[in-house]
Amino acid sequence: MENKNANKHQNPAKTRLIPVEFTELNWRFWSFVLILVLGIYLLGLFQGNVSDAVSKFGLTDPWYSPTVLVIPFVGLFRLTCYAYRKDYHRHLFDHPVACELNTRQDKLGRAYTGETRFFRVENFHRYFMYIAVAILPFFYYDFYVSLTYIPGSITLSIGGIIILVNTLAATIYTFSCHSIRHLVGGRMDCFSCTAAHKSGGKAYRFQSIFNTHHEALAWTSLAMFVFVDLYIRAVAAGIIPNLHMVL
Amino acid sequence: MKDVKLSIFRHDPEKEKEGKFVEYTIPYVEGMVVLDAVRYVEENIDTTLAVRWNCKAAHCGSCSAEINGKPSLMCKTRVETLGENVNVGPMKAYPLIKDLVTDVGANWKSIKRVPAFKPKEGLQEPWRMQQVDIERSKEFKRCIECFLCQDVCHVMREHYEETDYFGPRHMVRAASLDMHPLDDLDRARFLNEDAGIGYCNITKCCQETCPEHIRITDDAIIPEKERAVDIAYDPIARLIIGRKSKKRGN
Repeated sequence: MENKNANKHQNPAKTRLIPVEFTELNWRFWSFVLILVLGIYLLGLFQGNVSDAVSKFGLTDPWYSPTVLVIPFVGLFRLTCYAYRKDYHRHLFDHPVACELNTRQDKLGRAYTGETRFFRVENFHRYFMYIAVAILPFFYYDFYVSLTYIPGSITLSIGGIIILVNTLAATIYTFSCHSIRHLVGGRMDCFSCTAAHKSGGKAYRFQSIFNTHHEALAWTSLAMFVFVDLYIRAVAAGIIPNLHMVL
Repeated sequence: MKDVKLSIFRHDPEKEKEGKFVEYTIPYVEGMVVLDAVRYVEENIDTTLAVRWNCKAAHCGSCSAEINGKPSLMCKTRVETLGENVNVGPMKAYPLIKDLVTDVGANWKSIKRVPAFKPKEGLQEPWRMQQVDIERSKEFKRCIECFLCQDVCHVMREHYEETDYFGPRHMVRAASLDMHPLDDLDRARFLNEDAGIGYCNITKCCQETCPEHIRITDDAIIPEKERAVDIAYDPIARLIIGRKSKKRGN
């Protein structure tokens, strides 16, 4: 029987500067790009009318929002996250779109570099995780501001509660990360050797409970962010009232 | 259900240029698995049918096949879950020997290349281990080497010729050794540089397919990728953690 190793040839994708995934005529990927460009364009339009919007609806300029400032960091954290990696390699790049052999839409001869070459950047997930953890306290600060919005009293509002739920979702998602799983204990080979190893083992097992649901947490957290942004924007515009209780 | 229409891939490379699916109609027996149906054909209709099987209890990993477009063990797939039309083919990631039998010999070469277990120096015999330390390795020891994970992996199946990836089975083996409390080697550098772990793009098909429910991607490949990050991409962690990365192991 012929050895398949004998037929190996040089991977042409390895010599390309731009990843092949970005140059293929793949409707899934290019649809995503179109939606992304359209979204940024609409944001630009909104900026153009910001003065009217502020006077009319009380809206703020999106380009100077703190959210926009942190988006590159949290965006890269999510883009390099193992949960999203699975999703976009499957559903944007079709590598493969499904595990079923009849529907996977990956084929022999199609160029592929995996997480090497350009996508090696995914290995820096850990650094983006450090930044994401550093940003988390600001979400809690937002909740604190919602509580103390009226000086001298504590204000409990629907918006404040939604901010808190969103913050907790972001926290659980961030701390269920595979990189954190590795750092707290996964890197160890022995969980009983020293006191530090025992603590690491306990932390590893506890973190693994959440890590098992990392994908679900990732999408829940992302959906929460969108919902919270829309809610706050709607409250700011006066479209819906922010029911609250002053204690 | 009275009868089952069973399409089996038939191909003898020594006699034919191309293979084809041949349909057989066999009587359904309650509780029947696909291997029962294939064996019925082998024993009663066409004794030249080549099929590899052994334990019929999902322990030997011999009867791997592609059943209705999904890599599965024939002995663990009930016919009633598939409907009246059952399509059985060989694992296409491997060279065909005959009909449903493939040559998985390339795996033995890869297994030999993964650095073997090396006990730490100065261990007192008999070796003692705590249960808490071997839990992770134990999960990987459930592997029955059916190579379904290799068959479903798109890197092994569609991009094998252009990559150096060893495949999920061998990542699991390396992880089982790396996470062993008495092992002294770190295989992360080997996996990163020689075994092509970077070609895995976390699509988790191997994990979904594993008949032993080993969390291949979450518990073996991603931890090994993280260990490779320690060595190759995160000098700060390397300094702080002081991983035993000095040993290449091969």
